[in-house]
Amino acid sequence: MKDPYERYPAEVLDVKKETENTNTYTLRFLDEERQRSFSFIPGQFIIISFPGIGEAMFSISSSTRKTDSFSTTIRKVGRVTSKIHSLRPGDRIWVSGPYGNGWPMKEIEGKDVLIITGGVGLPSPRPVIYYIEENRDDFGFLEILYGTKTPMESIFSWEYERWHKMPRTKLALTVDYVPEGVEWRHNVGVVTTLLDDLVITPRNSAALICGPEIMMHFTVQELLRRGFHEQQLYVSLERRMHCGIAQCGHCQIGPYFVCKDGPVFRYSDIRGLPDCGI
Amino acid sequence: MYMRSGLLPREKLPDLIGKLKREYRVFGPVRKGSEFAFEEIEQGEELCLEYGTTILPPKKLFTPMRETIYKFEGESFSTIEDLIPADKKIAFGIHPCDVASFRFLDRVFLGFRSDPRYLRRRDSFLIFALTCTSVSEECFCLSMGTGPDCNSGYDVLMTALDWKFLLEAGTPEGERILDSLDLEPATEDDFTAKRVLIERLKGQFKRSVETDGLPELCMSSQDHPLWERYGEICLACGQCAMSCPTCFCFDVRDEVDLSLKKGERYRVWDVCLLKEFSQVALGGNFRPERSARLRQFICHNLSYGYYQYSMMKCVGCGRCIRICPVHIDITRIARELREEAIVEKEE
Repeated sequence: MKDPYERYPAEVLDVKKETENTNTYTLRFLDEERQRSFSFIPGQFIIISFPGIGEAMFSISSSTRKTDSFSTTIRKVGRVTSKIHSLRPGDRIWVSGPYGNGWPMKEIEGKDVLIITGGVGLPSPRPVIYYIEENRDDFGFLEILYGTKTPMESIFSWEYERWHKMPRTKLALTVDYVPEGVEWRHNVGVVTTLLDDLVITPRNSAALICGPEIMMHFTVQELLRRGFHEQQLYVSLERRMHCGIAQCGHCQIGPYFVCKDGPVFRYSDIRGLPDCGI
Repeated sequence: MYMRSGLLPREKLPDLIGKLKREYRVFGPVRKGSEFAFEEIEQGEELCLEYGTTILPPKKLFTPMRETIYKFEGESFSTIEDLIPADKKIAFGIHPCDVASFRFLDRVFLGFRSDPRYLRRRDSFLIFALTCTSVSEECFCLSMGTGPDCNSGYDVLMTALDWKFLLEAGTPEGERILDSLDLEPATEDDFTAKRVLIERLKGQFKRSVETDGLPELCMSSQDHPLWERYGEICLACGQCAMSCPTCFCFDVRDEVDLSLKKGERYRVWDVCLLKEFSQVALGGNFRPERSARLRQFICHNLSYGYYQYSMMKCVGCGRCIRICPVHIDITRIARELREEAIVEKEE
């Protein structure tokens, strides 16, 4: 019988610095067969584990098409992430997954796709961006709104130029404030201030939203005000999790387990649920 | 339907335990001060079947309070077989509400994904259920449909009738055991006596929960003022969830020895009443208020669990009512949600 609590050894292939405290780690399972058969849906997550230290959940941030490795983008905030930040290429790591439902890729096919994210919320929908790039004809307009506190906290900034050049694609960036001496040619203000210049309309579109709960709350409210329907808004939730398989109980919101029924929810399914600030 | 049944004189109970112990380890209710607890039975005499309820529910037999997920040494990990003995055991004298709790726990640990730890423990146990012979102050199993009689989930069902136990098999394994006991045959009178006992008990319940439409009612009552009111009283001690037979939440922790190479990852019961339960990185917390945490416990029992597993999480054992230091009563909350005026019965 398969043990869902088993973690599998993987190797760190590459560490890419995104910001002062956030890196992207490219990983590969040591077992070739496991690596070959590892497939995921954009928005799903993995558990990274270190015996003796602990484990935590992270979005997969690489392309679903890549089969020889996968990556995850991690901000240093606690014990497990500090351990991860001490890793170098060649180091050992334990991984299991993927977990969760992921973004509704089939449902958004043929539609305009609006991605609104903040801070380290971008890794979750990033595989969606890859997917649309790789299957460009299957989707309508792609519009990405990304906000961070300062310009220095933007992740994947080395990709923005490519995103800009993708056909039928718009990338809009914003920061809460610009520290003195820093150059910034984009918007200043919270991410919802970008909505005034929105290209995508409520007609035949879907919005994928991922960021701090308060940011998702205001984004959803703004979109509803602009005529979007609750059914076309999707949010990815963060909760404390220990198992990824609806057993530890920590991630429950009303009748849902975020790890199993989420992390992506249609807004209309979670609106008004207890202990959910969206 | 397994028809095998028989009668065991009460004074033969220690003999029965002795016989069972040749093949099985036996766990059952024993006296602990003024309370009762499920413990391993060494001598048949330790067993105390005239118990109301136990402090901790029998879930501890299948999902212990602290359980090793695996041990590690360097890069080698232990297996399930190393960790969990599969020796044959009997959970003896389990009341119907607790038997029902196993059905819920099975759905949690063997439903979406099967946890081999739980499965191995669960499979190692036979269940000897015990029909209730009295109704405690806090019991409300009747209204939850889980008692005071037991219709499934047991290998052997025991019912105490005057000088004897009526034993009924519920599985082939139970039949095999009854066959090996050389029991006096039960008559129609014995089954009638059992029915009479159950009917008598049904009239003795002081507490009940109206379950009809309750899951929906809880969902639509998230902003009911009673949560604030009870949140003010609740000590957030978590004893209700610890003593709940269907509360399954756990925390996962790592422990290493001084070499930092050898250690174990273990899970330990955790309860939603504690503030840390919903804490995430950087101190964010999705249920900082006691009222929200109490609501989670109550609504999981009376509502969310039903949506998750198609059966009520609450089995009506009354342990949370018994143990609450500030007398928060889940049946009363359920009633208040229906906005019924509470009139305290003068005893």
